Amino acid sequence: MAQEVRGEFYDLLAARGVTRRDFMKFCGSVAAVIGLSEVYAPQIASAIAAGTLQPALWLAHGLCTGCTESMAQIGVPDVPTIVLDLLSVNYWETVMAAAGTQAEDNITATVDKGGYIVIVEGSVMTGQGGNVLRIAGKPGVDELKEVCSKAKAVIAVGSCAVDGGWVAGDPNPAKATGVQAYLAQNGIKTPVVNLPTCPVNPEWVVSVLVDYLLVGALPPLNEFNEPKSLYSETIHDNCPRRGHFENGEFVQFGSADQTAQEAAGFCLYQMGCKGPQTKTTCPLVRWNRRVSWCVESGSPCIGCGTADPLKGGPGNWVDAGTPFLSRLADTRLPGIGGVQPSTIGAVVGGVAAAGLVVHGVVSASKGRIKGVPQESEKKFDSKNKSSEGGDK
Amino acid sequence: MSHEGHYREAHPLIFVFTHWINLLCMIGLAFTGFYIHYPFFAGFMNGARTIHFTLMFILLINLTSRVILAFWVKDANQLGSKAVDTDLKNWLPQEENKHQFMETVKYYLFFRNTRVISAKYGALQKIAYLATVPIILYMAYTGFALYTPAQSWGIWPFFAAGVSFFGGAMGIRIAHYFGMWVVILFTMVHAYLAAIDGFKPLWGLIFLWRES
Ligand code: HEM
Ligand code: HEM
Ligand code: SF4
Ligand code: SF4
Repeated sequence: MAQEVRGEFYDLLAARGVTRRDFMKFCGSVAAVIGLSEVYAPQIASAIAAGTLQPALWLAHGLCTGCTESMAQIGVPDVPTIVLDLLSVNYWETVMAAAGTQAEDNITATVDKGGYIVIVEGSVMTGQGGNVLRIAGKPGVDELKEVCSKAKAVIAVGSCAVDGGWVAGDPNPAKATGVQAYLAQNGIKTPVVNLPTCPVNPEWVVSVLVDYLLVGALPPLNEFNEPKSLYSETIHDNCPRRGHFENGEFVQFGSADQTAQEAAGFCLYQMGCKGPQTKTTCPLVRWNRRVSWCVESGSPCIGCGTADPLKGGPGNWVDAGTPFLSRLADTRLPGIGGVQPSTIGAVVGGVAAAGLVVHGVVSASKGRIKGVPQESEKKFDSKNKSSEGGDK
Repeated sequence: MSHEGHYREAHPLIFVFTHWINLLCMIGLAFTGFYIHYPFFAGFMNGARTIHFTLMFILLINLTSRVILAFWVKDANQLGSKAVDTDLKNWLPQEENKHQFMETVKYYLFFRNTRVISAKYGALQKIAYLATVPIILYMAYTGFALYTPAQSWGIWPFFAAGVSFFGGAMGIRIAHYFGMWVVILFTMVHAYLAAIDGFKPLWGLIFLWRES
């Protein structure tokens, strides 16, 4: 790929108050996010500059618009926004100027030309034959199938697009599901990259886009189609509070020392932190213009990066991780509802102990503890003599 | 099961050791497990995890040894007889156990009063003892899946299927936690039955190798 970055690209940046230095710094941090060394910054820069040619569509399905909102919280000066501009996003409901049929025409034109990528925000609403969410007078799923089947790649941003997210939470009346599962069900083979968390972390979106523009291919993915570089290690393993975890220093909800413990930055394990079960790079990349992230700001991780794109796993992150402030998720018992595993264990253990006490009392009353005589012949043998097939 | 099998030939010293190691590991693993599950006092997490991660290896080495020894060591396998044979016989159905499963269940549910004819171990006992092997392997599998959180590790694919079977990283943690309760229930019932079946001679033998 060309090493030199086109002059007019820097003019464009300068017009937005971004210096060449700012830009290279940004490219270096993108390199870090996608697991490359900073020496790749110039290559990333040229890839970004060349990115003008990459058309993209941003589809909005069953969503709260939080992911779009999150995209607005990327670094200042907002170089990543420029990256997104350079993508030539031809359709993005929340932010585009076009409206009505003109906007829909943009989709048709892009699809007809081909060579585009699709970014999907929000769950796939399949309920009522797809009529739970209608777009441009048609079931929303029709748009999704049409646009995704001809795309070069699909990036599912945010937990909702990945596996239905909280929209798919029990009892899931809209029959929400994720993009990958839905496309697979409909025989659409376009590759899907999943970027869970609720909302999506904008840095990850930019990093996948840059990776795509740089290498011309999607990043290496794990079994959930998530970029390996972003979703392989637990939050717990990279957490700045980890030292307190090892030392057994915990914030105890409701204790007299809670304020002091919080001030000391103790570990949030006892408050139900889902960091040990959640695999994202939140502690490294952080959030909100890299200012902070959940655990750093004092809230236990609630596991919003848990994903189940192919279903049959934990389900969406809300069902898989609630109650948020308990160590383990509730076990759902039919007819009773969610119960903590420790309660189930204690009840079963208690019933068993009581059963043994009763058994002991009855055994004693029947003289068994002292010993009772043994049968002289197996019941089976007295019923079936050897001539008839018995043991003896 | 009976009051007749309490002599050293039925429980060779080596199995007194394996039983002790097993019991101590279980106590340590359950205690540290409870602590890891919910640290009920401050300052011990590193210790709890170190102990848990050490004992888990000892438990597995002990299990492996016990299984290998079953093919080598000779001990008694009949009530009231000191004649010895390969220990493995104790773990598999013997002539005396045939057709006695339901009768044994009936005996323990008080539907009959005479004791059933049995080998050294009764039908139920054999099933319970054999079950300890898969239970420990289950704890090992779910435990090592928790121990290997990074997908970049080479061993990960071996656990990935199990993790998704139990419903993700949270699911397999809960599966490991419930496994602890299975071990606790087994131990409660097992120790209880050993106690009503001649507390002094039996516990004395299995823990102190003392014949009475
Ligand atoms: C045999 C091999 C075993 C292995 C490899 C193993 C491994 C582990 C690991 C890696 C953890 C997670 C620790 C952490 O997240 O810091 C754990 C937790 C735990 N283990 Fe084990 N363990 C084993 C056996 C047992 C046994 C026999 C018991 C109980 C009798 C037990 C009870 C527990 C409990 C209760 C937890 C806490 C689960 C939670 O609530 O998070 N483990 N074990
Ligand atoms: C308070 C705890 C325990 C007590 C009092 C106890 C007692 C005994 C006794 C008396 C026997 C001999 C049974 C007979 O000959 O009829 C025995 C055997 C056995 N116990 Fe335990 N036990 C305890 C804990 C455990 C635990 C935690 C396990 C495993 C999870 C276990 C597994 C076995 C096995 C597999 C045998 C078969 C014999 C052998 O391996 O040598 N026990 N136990
Ligand atoms: S705050 Fe959460 S992620 Fe951080 S060390 Fe504690 S339990 Fe682990
Ligand atoms: S720290 Fe946990 S809850 Fe917060 S964004 Fe990351 S995965 Fe979601």
